[in-house]
Amino acid sequence: MNTTDLIMSMGSVGFMLSMFFMGLLISYYGSSKTRTVGFVFLIMGAALAFAISPDPGLNYFADTSFMNGMLAFVGGMIGGIIGIVVFLVAIIKS
Amino acid sequence: MDMSTDNLDIIQFFVSMLIVGIGVALLATGMFTAYFGAGKSQKIGFALLFFGIITIVLVYLMTKGGVNAIPNQFDETMFMNALISGVSALSGMIIGMFLILFVLMKVDTVDDLEDLDLEDLEDLDLDEELKKLEEELNQADDDEEKENNGNDKPEDEE
Repeated sequence: MNTTDLIMSMGSVGFMLSMFFMGLLISYYGSSKTRTVGFVFLIMGAALAFAISPDPGLNYFADTSFMNGMLAFVGGMIGGIIGIVVFLVAIIKS
Repeated sequence: MDMSTDNLDIIQFFVSMLIVGIGVALLATGMFTAYFGAGKSQKIGFALLFFGIITIVLVYLMTKGGVNAIPNQFDETMFMNALISGVSALSGMIIGMFLILFVLMKVDTVDDLEDLDLEDLEDLDLDEELKKLEEELNQADDDEEKENNGNDKPEDEE
């Protein structure tokens, strides 16, 4: 997988995550008008997740590099959370 | 798809980005606290900033070959792929968030203002409405007094 493929696939994953989870939140907690928009986001996120999910038919995303990219993303997020926790502990304990 | 965990790439990608994530978070929070904090918290901010810089410099040196502390974990090509993956996913999330906020702002503000019937508000005479309310309140008070008097009478007769 070359760099462009990696950028495209991981960018789609990030876009899908925000669409899906924000859609879930808005459709649950939103008012009558925003709830409709929330459902649209939710459907868009689910459709993207279905397209991205590792399917042997879609070689673009079904690659070891894609899995490694996901691990890198999750690792980066967990690292960021650990860093913020260290910051909070340092401030609270001071 | 190769999901086997004996592939060393998986550990390389995860561990390297974990350390980068910690470094970036320490750097950002350190900068923030060192600038806006005062006294003790400012010192903590400088300490966090220092550790963040140290972490990122170490990662850079290990990747570029200056320091061979964990040689298997920081292969330059794989590290760059991991970094590109993380940054791309984060960018995708930010774009998605912006899109959602944009749509929500458009839906909430424009539609609500269109729904408001301003002509009804212009026709309202506030003085008349106040008088009506006062009359209703006075009537309600009178009714209560009459009811109280009616209840007191039988007791007096006894």
